[in-house]
Amino acid sequence: MRRRSYYKKSNAGRIIILLLIAAAVTFGTWYRGLFNSGFDADYLVENSRLKRAGFETNVEELVSRKGIKAYYMEERTNPIISVYFLFQKAGASFDQRGKEGLAHVTAALMTEGAGDLDSREFKEILEDKAISISFAADDDDVSGSLLTLKENQKEAFELLRTVLTEPRFDSKKTELVKQQMLAVLERQKEYPDSVLEQLWRQEIFGAHPYGRNSLGRAEDIVRINRDVLQRRVRESLTKDRLIVGIAGDISKQEALKMLDRVFGALPEKGKKTANEDAKAHFDGREKVIPRDLAQDIAIFAAEGTARNNPDFYPLYIANQIFGGQGLTSRLSLAAREDEALTYGIYSYLSLKDDAALIRGGFSATPDKFARVKEIVGREWQRMAEEGVSDEEVEAAKKYLTASYNLRFASIANISAILAAMQREKLGIDFLQKRNSYVEAVTTEQVNEAAKKYFGAGQPVWVSLGK
Amino acid sequence: MGKFLRLLAFLWLAGTGAAEARLFEAEEFFLDNGLRVVVIPNHKAPIVQQMVWYNVGSVDEAPGKGGVAHLLEHLMFRGTEEVKDGEFNRLITENGGSMNAFTSRDVTVYHEFMDVSRLELAMFLEADRMSGLKITPETFEKERDIVFQERMQVVENNPTAYFSEVMQRNLWQEHPYARPITGTPEEILQLSQKDAEDFYGRYYAPNNAILILSGDITTAEAKDLAEKYFGGAERKETGKRIEFPEFKGFRSSKTLMKMPQINVSRMVRYYVVPSYAQDKNQALALTVLAKYLGDGDTSQLYRRLVEDEKSAVSVAAGYDLASRSYAVFVLSALTDHPEVFEKDLDEALREAIAAFDAEALQKAKKQMLAGIIYLKDNPADAAEIAGSLLSGGMSLEDVKNYDKAIEAVSLTDVRKAAAQLLNGGYVQGFLLPEDKD
Repeated sequence: MRRRSYYKKSNAGRIIILLLIAAAVTFGTWYRGLFNSGFDADYLVENSRLKRAGFETNVEELVSRKGIKAYYMEERTNPIISVYFLFQKAGASFDQRGKEGLAHVTAALMTEGAGDLDSREFKEILEDKAISISFAADDDDVSGSLLTLKENQKEAFELLRTVLTEPRFDSKKTELVKQQMLAVLERQKEYPDSVLEQLWRQEIFGAHPYGRNSLGRAEDIVRINRDVLQRRVRESLTKDRLIVGIAGDISKQEALKMLDRVFGALPEKGKKTANEDAKAHFDGREKVIPRDLAQDIAIFAAEGTARNNPDFYPLYIANQIFGGQGLTSRLSLAAREDEALTYGIYSYLSLKDDAALIRGGFSATPDKFARVKEIVGREWQRMAEEGVSDEEVEAAKKYLTASYNLRFASIANISAILAAMQREKLGIDFLQKRNSYVEAVTTEQVNEAAKKYFGAGQPVWVSLGK
Repeated sequence: MGKFLRLLAFLWLAGTGAAEARLFEAEEFFLDNGLRVVVIPNHKAPIVQQMVWYNVGSVDEAPGKGGVAHLLEHLMFRGTEEVKDGEFNRLITENGGSMNAFTSRDVTVYHEFMDVSRLELAMFLEADRMSGLKITPETFEKERDIVFQERMQVVENNPTAYFSEVMQRNLWQEHPYARPITGTPEEILQLSQKDAEDFYGRYYAPNNAILILSGDITTAEAKDLAEKYFGGAERKETGKRIEFPEFKGFRSSKTLMKMPQINVSRMVRYYVVPSYAQDKNQALALTVLAKYLGDGDTSQLYRRLVEDEKSAVSVAAGYDLASRSYAVFVLSALTDHPEVFEKDLDEALREAIAAFDAEALQKAKKQMLAGIIYLKDNPADAAEIAGSLLSGGMSLEDVKNYDKAIEAVSLTDVRKAAAQLLNGGYVQGFLLPEDKD
């Protein structure tokens, strides 16, 4: 687009004022443009007509009469409410030997009938009232979420209470869900990505439960029955593991009442569970599992750092520069934008309770694969030895702070953040302070972290292909 | 690419009984150059989703030029007369935006999700590449190779994607929807810079696009900013979009494909049916029918085939009313009993349709509309839904009154649509594991 033309106006009434503004803007742009590429992005941002200074995200900690804690944010834009909750250390890595798959089967069966309602009746009510209740398991936790219209909140909370305290595990539904889980296990083997993921887990985590397929083993899944399921609920969906986030069109009083009503009857304590640290060894070894594929696929990983470690923000920024969001990381620029060897290459900080990793991956046709791998090795080395520049750190910090508000797009996301803040012990003022944590990081700190983590050794590679 | 088809699933969520409930508040206006601008205010957080929907998709490609729409979509990130290669990605990312684009058969869509203070930058950049794209031999070759890698990753490395492409060819026959959106690998490698430039020159213009601004912005602000940034783009005569052939003598077929990677048998069945653009009433009736038959665990087919007869592990019906040409009514299932499943499905389908009565109609409609207010929550989702429906031939009034249109669907409408479905031809496919002997 030509600069001249976008101030062209047909509306004579406003033309003078607009010309004045246009002249100012155009001049500024022109002047800076002499030194830049022709338009000035910073100028557009600094002089943005739209901005909202006073966006507030007030989080309060609630403690109900029965002692249930939650983070709470009132958000009344729409008459809807979201509750996100999780039970720490109730996830798949706590499935006992011989019961692998129990966490996922339990999560799937939680919404298959509760109390007096069989699965059909239960789901009919959810659909009629547009109430959504869902459960999921990952390696560490079992999580759940509720989304309801304000007008149906009483009924929604009552249903959730029943689900948590009186799940039915009817044998017909249990058999069906087990069949469905077995089909998921079978389908995992059909896709190269998920095949590699499982092989990678085995290679990195070995005998630690993270080394298993978190969906379980077919021979264990078929043996799951109501007794086992009920015991799992009793032992792991307990108050001492519970974390709750509440967001939406709900008053503090209503939220407090809900906490007691929904979660108040859960057992205080369950069976104590803990796994050891995963103790992955990152010695630069490379494992290739031969396959004849259109594209070979790789995952690489090395030691990372925990969320509450002082190294976290510096390493987070180092990773953003190395292989983080957008197409402007060093890996993306080199392997994709410059040499066009792959559709996508990325890295991220993986945060599990027993293992913190820097993890990355890509796929490329066999003729390009070795070159991409070489680039990863080169860039890895560069992070360790040369570190990063001030400009790169500034750009990464700009991204991390300017993208911050996007996380408030949906109230379901907000309630999940409220839970994560408690899980990771980020503090009640985290939302106000987070950008200052990012801004406080210096290039020196990033380079120290880069040296420490990228310099600790070569990543372990697991790949599928030739 | 895949995102586009997922959209209408939102509409089958569930939703509020409140009578005033509408999908979302939205307003539209046109710039003098023909750009259609849709504003969906949502002031929950200081963020805005900007989308530009060009009314051109892979279906408008000339024969032999398969994949040029999608390759052009990639090249749009590679620099203009004003903004050099690499700067678009750098500027959006540094300013905290998440951006992407997708190409479907019918449309090509670009979007940036930004803090509202960075929206003007995103608007400048979108407007800039609406008419100032500059492709160089170097950027062309790189993006062509990246697109080739994308095709290898997304289709060739995915056994079910390959099956889907075969089924699309069987389904659409001589209709241009039969061609893969990405083009075949051979087509991709044969495309030239001129092909991409021609396609851009022919179809990219303000009068062939919809700009959607969804989030912390008012219509008045949107008017000023749209005029400021997009007002200078010149209207131009755009190339004719493809004229779709009428389906005459549709050939039903049954495909059986076996692949060594496959462990779980799949079945799909496609019926070619009218889209909203072709027949509003029938499209709305089919939307209700899909909900009743196969949307979720309370649907008729799921209850019968999965829960009662255990003939399938899962089953679903789907219908996306947004299409420039015909639409498709899909039945799909995972089954451990492929040898008997077809018969079971036919029976279940016939009986479910025969049992459809006033009560079932009310229930389906109620569930479809109960949660419609959730669609107002996330501004990025709202923009995507609006864009999909508008591109699929709905007016903005139609979109805003979607709930009323669903409420107005009658028993006769659904019965008629169902009867036509049962009497029409279809294309069916089974994807099975290889025999283990």
